[in-house]
Amino acid sequence: MSPRDAVGEISPELGAIRQVRRRPKLSWSMRIGAAVLIFYVAVALISLVWTPYDPLTPGVGDGYDAPSSAFLLGTDRLGSDMLSRLMVGARYNLGITLTAVAIALSVGTTIGVIAGYHGGAIDTVVLRAVEIFQAFPGLLFAMLVVQAVGPGIVNVILVLSFVGIPDYLRLARGEIHSRRSWQYAEAARMVGNPPWRVAFRHLLPNSIGPLLAFTSINAAFVALITASLGFLGLGLGPNTPEWGNMIARGQDGVMTGQWWVSFFPGLAILGLTGAFYLLGDAVSDLTDPRRRR
Amino acid sequence: MRGRMILRRLLWVFPVAFGVVTLTFFMARVFNGDPTELYAPPEATDALRAQIRAQLGLADPLPVQYFHYLADLLRFNLGTSFTTGQSVASDLSDRLPATLELGLVGLTLGIVVGIPLGVIAAVNRERWPDFLVRGATLSGMALPQFWVGLVLIGIFFVNLHLLPGPVGRLPIGVALPPRGTGFMLIDTLLAGEPALWWLAVRQLALPAFTLGFSTAAPIARVTRSAMVEAMQSDYIRTAIAMGHGRRVVWFRYSLRNALLPVVTLIGGIAGHIFAGAVLLESIFAWPGLGQYALQAIERSDFAALQGFVIYASLLYVLAFLAVDILYMFIDPRMRA
Repeated sequence: MSPRDAVGEISPELGAIRQVRRRPKLSWSMRIGAAVLIFYVAVALISLVWTPYDPLTPGVGDGYDAPSSAFLLGTDRLGSDMLSRLMVGARYNLGITLTAVAIALSVGTTIGVIAGYHGGAIDTVVLRAVEIFQAFPGLLFAMLVVQAVGPGIVNVILVLSFVGIPDYLRLARGEIHSRRSWQYAEAARMVGNPPWRVAFRHLLPNSIGPLLAFTSINAAFVALITASLGFLGLGLGPNTPEWGNMIARGQDGVMTGQWWVSFFPGLAILGLTGAFYLLGDAVSDLTDPRRRR
Repeated sequence: MRGRMILRRLLWVFPVAFGVVTLTFFMARVFNGDPTELYAPPEATDALRAQIRAQLGLADPLPVQYFHYLADLLRFNLGTSFTTGQSVASDLSDRLPATLELGLVGLTLGIVVGIPLGVIAAVNRERWPDFLVRGATLSGMALPQFWVGLVLIGIFFVNLHLLPGPVGRLPIGVALPPRGTGFMLIDTLLAGEPALWWLAVRQLALPAFTLGFSTAAPIARVTRSAMVEAMQSDYIRTAIAMGHGRRVVWFRYSLRNALLPVVTLIGGIAGHIFAGAVLLESIFAWPGLGQYALQAIERSDFAALQGFVIYASLLYVLAFLAVDILYMFIDPRMRA
């Protein structure tokens, strides 16, 4: 009989308490956020093999068909099917957002850890550079660069990740900087670990909570900027079924009563950014001791 | 002590400003290439092109251009816009009031709605008012501003005919009041035309509401979480134990302590808003700074772009400076 069973034997109440404590309950924001995100990924994957109509072909219906059983979400000005375009759009908006965030997270964190752990001149120079860069308006920077280097999905991703790097850098730097003289860091150094190992293997994993929470919130922001660039017609080709781009194409329709062309892509964006915000909330509830309840 | 802290903080503005100015100069040129083609007629000879390039101030090598640019800046000369043909400084000051007017009304709306919503959510934590507010703030932050604007136009202008369409600060064909302050809501009253004032209010309603909606959301959210944290603290337990009423505990103890992060947030938002909401202004044809910047990017108008970026980033730095200074007065720990 294991000691744990023995406790249950002697005092059933204690055994019950043990049971309750074992696994933290998944919060509602985590469940909803994850479910929505999985749904978007599923739609993006399905759109690779099946959409109701060809999303890029104009004229599968008449221009501005209202939502009906043939075209569930209606058609746009050129008669393309809205549902098909929305499905393919998930690929663009989700793909661009996730890739850009992954790049910003890895590059920003790496530089931030080095600056925070090393301290001294490197730290000062990096921080000052970041401060100057952050005073530059983010959306404007993205517009400027994309306008200049020309459209293309790779350009959009690179610009968006570049805009995100300073935030990750500052966060990681702050985390590492505040911990580098803690005793467990000291202990790791004393047993002979090289500095990079102390920084990345011993200190960084302890900061994963705040970093993940921020990543999720930042993903929501990046998804919004992606749509904004698309709305301005920067970055991707004019017929690309990116959601912001689709809203822009429906702008005239709003004035003449064909609301659905702009309306549904907005809902799609709401779902994506909302899911990222919910996940961010859930992660910080789990990892931030001040918010644990 | 406090004076020295403020002074150090103020002095730090200069190196940041210099960095921004330099970054802007090289970004504009490296990324946006040679705008001569935009301004030269297609049949122009090489000589004419060279002449245009010289007129645009692009004939010199980059370091020389940079030097001229810095020298001009020191004399507060932002250069001349290629597109409008006017000095950038006067272009910016022409458009500033439109952005400020929209921004001030939107921000006020956001604060006046956002903070009470956050308080209501916090004191009803995990009950239905809380869930309602959290749902509303989530959608306020997750929806693109330009989409909210379009939907509101669709509802209030196209369908209900309650408010005017997105044609700027006054309906098309209405004569402008004489320009005094540049604020339409003040100028119309100064001109003694209340009817015109009402027209301006109606034009402002939808963009200001859109801005207020997306501003109130983060403010309510931060107010809520800061207040929830405050309510769980020991000093609140003490205050309750001392027998203070709920209202005193909520407003005098917890809200006051929760305000610090809210002030920071409002500072950041103000920095963004007063730099011109590019997309919002373009949807409502609002003749503010955001539209000016968009135009400058599309037409490779270096001087205009530089002028705008310098203005926007200084504004941003100043907004945070204001927050830092405000902190020293609000936060008793910094009163040392």
